[in-house]
Amino acid sequence: MAPSKKKHASSQPCIIPGGFAVLSLQFNSDSAARHSLYVKEHKVRAEKSSHRPLDRTLFVLNIPPYCSEDVVKELFSQFGNVESVELRDHPGSTQESGPKLSKFFRPAGKQGFNVGYVVFKKSSSLTAVKSHPHDVPLVVCTEQRPVRTGVQKWIQQYTQSFIHPDKLQQTVDSFMENYDKHKEEEAERQKKEAEQQKEEEEGWVKVTRGNKGTKARPHSEAANQRTLQKEMRKKKRKELMNFYTWQHRNTQKEHIAELRKKFEEDKQRIALLRAQRKFRPY
Amino acid sequence: MILSDCFHEEEENEAPVKAKRIKPDAGEEEEVVYHPVKLSRNDLYRPPTAEELNQLKEAESLFHCSLLKMQGIIVCVYVQCLTHLLDQLSFQKVSDLSWLSGTVKVPFLLLPKITKGKFHMAPPASIDLIGSYPLGTCTKPHVMVDLAVTIPADVLHPKDVVNQRYPRKRALYLAGLAQYLTSSSDIGTMRYSCLHGNRLRPVLLLTPPDKNSSSFTVRVHACPPPGFFKPSRFHPQRNNIRTEWYTGLQTSHSGKIPPTPHYNSSVLGDLLPRAHLQFLSAISSQCSAFADGVALLKVWLRQRELNQGTGCFNGFLASMLMAYLLTTHRISNTMTAYQLLRNSLNFLEFHSAFQVVFVDPSGHLNMCADMTACTYMQLQHEASVSMQFWDNPTVDGFHSLLMTPKPMIRTSDHVFQLCELVKLQSSCKKLNLLSELMDHSGNYIHTALPFILSLLQQGLDQRIQLLTHSLSPDPEWSVESEAPKYKAQPPLSFGLLFRPELAASVLERGPPADSPKAAEFRQLWGLRSELRRFQDGAITEAVLWDGESMCQKRLVPKQIITHLLQLHADIPESCVRYVGAMVDDVIKSGSEVPSTGEEKSLAVVQSYDDLSRKLWRLEGLPLSITAVQGAHPALRYTQVFPPKPLKMDYSFFDKEKTCRSLVPKEGKPCPAYITPITVICHMEGSGKWPNDRLAIRHIRAAFHIQLGELLRKHHKYTCRPCPTHLDVWKDGLVFRIQVAYHREPQVLRESVNPEGLLVVRDNEEAQALEMATIHKPLLTSTLHGLQQQHPCFGAVCRLAKRWLGAQLFTPLLRFNHVGFLRFLHLLSSFDWKNNPLVVNLNNQLIAADYTEIKNGFMASRESLPVMFIATPKDKKLSMWTRRAPNVQMLQRVMMVAAESLKVLEQQLMDGNQIQDVKVVMRPPLEVYDAVIHLNPKQVPLLSQAVDPPSVTFSRGVMTGSAAQSGGSLPVIDYNPVSLYLAELREAFGDLALFFCDPYGGTVIAVLWKPKAFSPVPFKTSQVSARSVKVTGDEANTVPNVEAILEDFQIMGKGLVKSVEARTEKWSF
Repeated sequence: MAPSKKKHASSQPCIIPGGFAVLSLQFNSDSAARHSLYVKEHKVRAEKSSHRPLDRTLFVLNIPPYCSEDVVKELFSQFGNVESVELRDHPGSTQESGPKLSKFFRPAGKQGFNVGYVVFKKSSSLTAVKSHPHDVPLVVCTEQRPVRTGVQKWIQQYTQSFIHPDKLQQTVDSFMENYDKHKEEEAERQKKEAEQQKEEEEGWVKVTRGNKGTKARPHSEAANQRTLQKEMRKKKRKELMNFYTWQHRNTQKEHIAELRKKFEEDKQRIALLRAQRKFRPY
Repeated sequence: MILSDCFHEEEENEAPVKAKRIKPDAGEEEEVVYHPVKLSRNDLYRPPTAEELNQLKEAESLFHCSLLKMQGIIVCVYVQCLTHLLDQLSFQKVSDLSWLSGTVKVPFLLLPKITKGKFHMAPPASIDLIGSYPLGTCTKPHVMVDLAVTIPADVLHPKDVVNQRYPRKRALYLAGLAQYLTSSSDIGTMRYSCLHGNRLRPVLLLTPPDKNSSSFTVRVHACPPPGFFKPSRFHPQRNNIRTEWYTGLQTSHSGKIPPTPHYNSSVLGDLLPRAHLQFLSAISSQCSAFADGVALLKVWLRQRELNQGTGCFNGFLASMLMAYLLTTHRISNTMTAYQLLRNSLNFLEFHSAFQVVFVDPSGHLNMCADMTACTYMQLQHEASVSMQFWDNPTVDGFHSLLMTPKPMIRTSDHVFQLCELVKLQSSCKKLNLLSELMDHSGNYIHTALPFILSLLQQGLDQRIQLLTHSLSPDPEWSVESEAPKYKAQPPLSFGLLFRPELAASVLERGPPADSPKAAEFRQLWGLRSELRRFQDGAITEAVLWDGESMCQKRLVPKQIITHLLQLHADIPESCVRYVGAMVDDVIKSGSEVPSTGEEKSLAVVQSYDDLSRKLWRLEGLPLSITAVQGAHPALRYTQVFPPKPLKMDYSFFDKEKTCRSLVPKEGKPCPAYITPITVICHMEGSGKWPNDRLAIRHIRAAFHIQLGELLRKHHKYTCRPCPTHLDVWKDGLVFRIQVAYHREPQVLRESVNPEGLLVVRDNEEAQALEMATIHKPLLTSTLHGLQQQHPCFGAVCRLAKRWLGAQLFTPLLRFNHVGFLRFLHLLSSFDWKNNPLVVNLNNQLIAADYTEIKNGFMASRESLPVMFIATPKDKKLSMWTRRAPNVQMLQRVMMVAAESLKVLEQQLMDGNQIQDVKVVMRPPLEVYDAVIHLNPKQVPLLSQAVDPPSVTFSRGVMTGSAAQSGGSLPVIDYNPVSLYLAELREAFGDLALFFCDPYGGTVIAVLWKPKAFSPVPFKTSQVSARSVKVTGDEANTVPNVEAILEDFQIMGKGLVKSVEARTEKWSF
């Protein structure tokens, strides 16, 4: 494949249709090939989250796997102070839900190419990035800031995978404490709701099967289906089979139809076999 | 319906041959996919005619499936389609003949040279068609039309039966015919052959010259006029070859003249073919299905390689057997072809009084004179196996009986060959077989064979179920060359079918020392036999063979065979080519004692059993353990290289202080790879378990900590708890214990939708968990049981996995040589597209299930995985293959499997080739687009490679017995190659495929995906590793190949030696 990178003679920024500026990136100063980063100011209509302010956030595409959040932060700090960096495997809004997990329990991130949201301290940094000349590459690994890859990285990973049992125990304990507290609060809330309902109905007390005001059995899809099936079965049981002459006749007819169908099916399979030349012995 | 179908078939067949040949080919190329039948309502529900009802009924009652019947009919139709071809052969009477010129040779080994008698050439008295063709029972692909040419009476003399005079005259007569026929151009090619390998009965083969020549061959037999010789002369006790003449010595008439039964029967066989034909055609006119039945039986025989060569059960015998059954009213005239076949097999299976004597209707000829007892036993064995298949409703009987070839190399457990057949001459001398040699007129191979067979049978005795031998094929030679010598025959192959429980025992215990049988035993075993005292106090003769490990013990029969042949038949060991355990090399790993890992697997299983017992006994856990299950291939005996207990060299590693464990050092080679052996530990269900996925995970982590603590306290094991598992260092092995809670998959599936309704939705996470905690342990225990039933299952599985690994297919599939061959055969020939593969573990499936599986499969073929494997527990989904092989990969696997099978079978059966069975394990690298060469230092499993390297690296392992429990935790599950592969696949998985042999492969092969390089419009979700090309207003992206190739280097720094890009192959 032809080298697709356009070598611009002048030190001009390269803007492609779609509004993305192209920055080139190389691993270290000796490497011959370059990746291209595509950057643009972060602009989303329905973004409410506070940690991606629209005027200061840079949206970066195609970050190679060996660039961690820290590396990206370092790379972009030449354009202005960076507040935070967030790497994700595909673009989209954040959907953080549930309690904050400790690092032991967080699912392992993907090691592929990432997209990044770089939040600068000042919005002027964005224009600095976009006007960066295309043919001056960003360098990932330098003398001052070595980036570990390959065997070094794997050994580091292996070393970091050790967790001291006590620390782990602590994490578990604190999580479970939180969880229990949360559970209790929930129960409390439900109880209160139930009481409120009682009061509203002016003297009439609603009688339910549950003892604590909640339903004993959570209504679920499966339960719904089960009741439906039960009904069907009941209906079927009541039916009489082969009682009338026409019913008998119908059964016979069905039987013959079944046989014919099977015969046809088999014939077709034979045709198929023959077409595939499975009859090799002859 | 059937009838009309048949007629249609026949019309088709009458069309010119050319047109017929084209049709199936065209069918092969177009995509044939099965679609469910759609009959219109009208068709289905129209009133049935009486005839149709009968047919449907019959089809259902006679066969498991009406399919069988229709297949049978089509076979027969194919078989009978030759009538019109005969007209091409017009044979003119021989009128005038000058004597033999030098070009045509006489098809006879003149040994001894001289015999008395006069011969002149004369036109034949008559020419008749005989044999299967006029009976309509011949089968494709080698259609033989037998033509009997009667030698005129004045050429022969009634005394000619003596001293091979008649056979020689017959050979001369054939040569005369051949001489005459060379002059006419439209005869085609001529070759000599001999009938069933009997050199006394040469025949002339004529092949028509035109294009469809392959379709049939005419075989010309020369016969004496009917009734020319008196049949009583050929009684088995009579002598027709004089010893004086044969040996050339004048011996005194002191002893009895030895009878020559084989010679007699070979001459007699020439007298009777016309009578036999009459007899058979009379039978066949009585019974309409006779011809079809015989044809089916012949096909059955051919698939088992029983119908060709010396002493075969040929087509003629098949029809005679059928005729015998008909005349004795074992089968009735009105039966169908299919029933005839069934009854004949039934007869073969049960008729034990039936020796290898089968007398023809005239009462003079034993038609099975050349057959050895072993061949007959094989026939019986095959018949009984076939009957079992037939009666098993879950097997497609037709396919396995009549359409699957069973060559010896795939049916016998071990095969060995006798190479230099000249040596048999000396064994004839040693065995004292002169008169038999005379009877066989010098054919020392056939003379010695029965004796060798009975010797082996005696020696292997209880170890084998069946001893078979290959039937030497009929030699064929051109009319211009001399008849080949006996030693020119291909090597004789013998197949052994073992009794698994006895085959590998190292001790042969004989009779007590004082019993009269002891002498016999000593005579058989020679010097190997010695007196031994046993634990029960008995003192008996015994032979002890060497063999320590399982793989050596498997070769005990080889020792026995070579010993016996050397001792009794003078056949040196160099002549015996033993095929068995040749492929085992690739899974061999032992250092002192060569072993194929059975013992190591056993050690692992024992250690695991110990651990599980200790887990059960633990006290102080808040919930009790309900089950401990292994879920690792090593525990089902299918790990290619079972884990080996290791002792670590602490100075080799860095240390991690807080957790007392070792860490790989940067400058050193990668440490030895230690596989964690997964053990699933099910905890009791209780109300205390939370109902939330995250909370469950935390509780599990707490369990891991606690288990580790207890194991450390009570048993001093070094443990490392993690949120997902607990590693235990025990007996030099690492066990990875995972706590499981049976409701967790359910909890993962449940979610509450906005309306407050509890919805159960299947998702990947739940499936993965279920796979790990429920299905894998189940599979492990099932396969463990299977291993107990079939001891070689483990080895076969490991070989198969090794092959898949070596051919770089491992990301696709999760699975002794015969089994390996069968596996390859299955893989290459199974029609994955149109059939499910049903694995009936423990016979849990019944016939109804089979149809259910098939129907379900047909109905939803499109949505199911390409490789569909159904098991008793998993009838609908084929969970093991859902993710893995896609269409292209499966195609390639099948192709490579077929190729490997071919190579392997050829090598195993052909002694001349260089013995390197590892060829099938070496992958071709030409097809790949880029190859990443790895630094062998950092490949931890290097020693397991197909071709182990000459240099080895220290990997921090000390020799000597495995460390006891305790001490620092070693480096577990650290394999740079697999880490690198995972990273590559995550980063570039959408652009390329990466292949690597997980067992010590030092190359990673890269294949670009076909669509990867077509430019796509710029999209934020699709820019990974791509560069933009702007043309006008559009921005398109293509992969940035230079950067990607450099990334291969960067990401694998320290591991990658070089990246070789095969740019010349790329076409974008």
